[in-house]
Amino acid sequence: MGVTDTETRLLDRNRLLDRNAFRRDAPPSEEEEGAPSFRGALREAMREEMRRDESVFQMGEDIATAPPFGVTSGLADEFGRDRIRNIPASEVAVMGAAAGAGIDGMRAIVEFQFGDFLSVAIDQLTHQAAMLRHLTGGQVSIPMVVRLPCGGGESTGPQHSQTMHSWFAHAPGIKVAVPSSATDAKGLLKTAIRDDNPVLFFEHKSLYGTRWAVPDEFEDPDFTIPFGEAAIRRSGSDITVVATMTMVEHALAAAETLADDGISVEVIDPRTVEPLDTDTIVESVRKTGRLLAVDEAYLSCGIQGEIVSQITEQAFDSLEAEPRRLGNPGVPVPFSPPLEDEVLPSTDDIVDEVRSLVAD
Amino acid sequence: MLVRIGNIRVPMRPDSDRSPDVLADGGSEATSSAADPVRDDDWAGLLSAIDADGDLDPDELRMLMRIMLLIRKVDRAWGDAYLEGEVEGIPPSLSTGQEAVSAGASAGLQPGDFQFTTHRGQAPMVASGLDPGRILADLYMRSDGYNSGKSYHVTDVERGVIGMGGIIGAQVPVAGGKALAQQFRDDGGVSLAYFGDGTANEGAIHETANLAAMWDLPLIMLCENNEYNITQRVDEAVKAPSVASRAAGYGIPGDLVDGNDPIAVFEAVRDAAERARSGDGPTLIEAQTVRLDGHLTHDPQKYRSDGEIADRWTQCPIRRFRERLAAEDVLSKEEFDEMKAEVESEVEAAVEFARESPYPEPEEAYEDLWA
Repeated sequence: MGVTDTETRLLDRNRLLDRNAFRRDAPPSEEEEGAPSFRGALREAMREEMRRDESVFQMGEDIATAPPFGVTSGLADEFGRDRIRNIPASEVAVMGAAAGAGIDGMRAIVEFQFGDFLSVAIDQLTHQAAMLRHLTGGQVSIPMVVRLPCGGGESTGPQHSQTMHSWFAHAPGIKVAVPSSATDAKGLLKTAIRDDNPVLFFEHKSLYGTRWAVPDEFEDPDFTIPFGEAAIRRSGSDITVVATMTMVEHALAAAETLADDGISVEVIDPRTVEPLDTDTIVESVRKTGRLLAVDEAYLSCGIQGEIVSQITEQAFDSLEAEPRRLGNPGVPVPFSPPLEDEVLPSTDDIVDEVRSLVAD
Repeated sequence: MLVRIGNIRVPMRPDSDRSPDVLADGGSEATSSAADPVRDDDWAGLLSAIDADGDLDPDELRMLMRIMLLIRKVDRAWGDAYLEGEVEGIPPSLSTGQEAVSAGASAGLQPGDFQFTTHRGQAPMVASGLDPGRILADLYMRSDGYNSGKSYHVTDVERGVIGMGGIIGAQVPVAGGKALAQQFRDDGGVSLAYFGDGTANEGAIHETANLAAMWDLPLIMLCENNEYNITQRVDEAVKAPSVASRAAGYGIPGDLVDGNDPIAVFEAVRDAAERARSGDGPTLIEAQTVRLDGHLTHDPQKYRSDGEIADRWTQCPIRRFRERLAAEDVLSKEEFDEMKAEVESEVEAAVEFARESPYPEPEEAYEDLWA
């Protein structure tokens, strides 16, 4: 069952919502000084787990020398180039290497420079890593994590801007994490590394430079966040907005605007989409009677549709309006800002949808 | 519910009038054995039976012969069960003509090493000491198989056999990862990945060859060149003079061997394993062999001439090895016949075991997904 999280707070929302925020990386403001970043939270999670367990190692392009998003910066100094391995451009071989090493109980963390490159290695992921346990009657397990910088809003172009988590939440045998805050980034990544199954870990590029107020236990090396437990990021009574990654902040911003109109919005972040904490979403919709599912995924067969289906099946008699979805309507994420903004959900889109649903 | 994969069985024996049964000549009638086919758990097939450090002695040569016979008979049992309608589903892929490759390779490895198989993968399973009864139970889709009905790419992780092959070539990157773990742990282990001449053109092979070369992984990439990628001849698919010659491009040793001579394969794998264990990295071995049955059991091979198939039967590795061992006074005709009868009765018992094994319970479909 989900938990209410009021301690995690993004310190400067503009850092997330500004275009190209991940590249500008402006110096921290006074409030942000010393506060953990999303990027740093991921790095500390890996540092702690590599100290704790010698079987954890990493493979990725340039991760030991000049990681493009800086997540692994400095780790090679502590752990050496054997455990922090630069790889040639060979996504298939590396995905397979992670799976094969997993047979032996080694725990690979793989970084693809952009999550979209996962398409290159799909067979090794979905047919090998994800299926080997089942098809051998449980004889092997494949612990591995694949870290995937993802998402739009940064003009990185159609093949570097997707959020492909829906593709893989669809496939059996893969866990899928979609963190939205530094707290979740750290707690979920540590859980992912300790998990004995293949885990895809989607990291929205716009989040890397964000800085966060975090709960005290954030610093505890034993702090983890379980998979399949949604976070209620804002409580409300008129509508449930389920949102992931950057869409959580858009939903929270929309909720603040809507509060001025007297509309009370509950914002739920599932944090993992496989497993998906449907219980928490169902319980919320039974209270609010309305659902809006927001995600950057393509709408057709996207994770938003799965959430709507679960609610339709499990809370149909509580619904006061039709459940709705927001997402990419089904075009490649364009390069030019006006085009990109058009296809991705925004704060304003959420405000408009909620007003329309609550007015009904 | 038993899901059937289409009605792709054909009611004929495509090879019946074109493929002489090399085991039919001179053998005595097999007698059924009541012995429990489940093997001693310590038996690791040729991995433990043969001392991979030196050359082969007469006992080891006879063991190689016996395993090649056992491979052929286990394969044939599955093929027959399919043709007679006793098992359905995907048609069996047999290693008829290729037995020397897996027998030689397994002999060149040691317990603790790993082999990653292909869709034509029963041969390394048998050679590595897996129980023929349990292998056949898997192929009969029964619950006593190693994979409990989930897949016919039989895995026995205890004996280092990882059954892969649903996607050709996919086993090679995973074998590379196992080799990486063996290198990390410095446990002296080696991983060997089988693949075919058709699969040699998959990108996964090239990526892994380069990665293994860069990292000096203890990996053996063993290409079973049986001349055909389903119906396509290798010379229509590979421009290079051989698959092994590509090793130069990867910067690793390449070894082209007679894949119908188990001793030649044994020596190549033994030497490659020795290099791998010494930290000298991967080797690409190409074993040139012949496919004496169709791609799958129902394949009538209309794309091959009768003359070609008859010619390839003269290279049957079991016939060649039997003649050699007879000439060298290692195994007489009588001893061969006795060995063959033993193997036949072992496989009969294995078939019986598979037949009597129950189908899995429906709810077992949901087991073994998550660790």
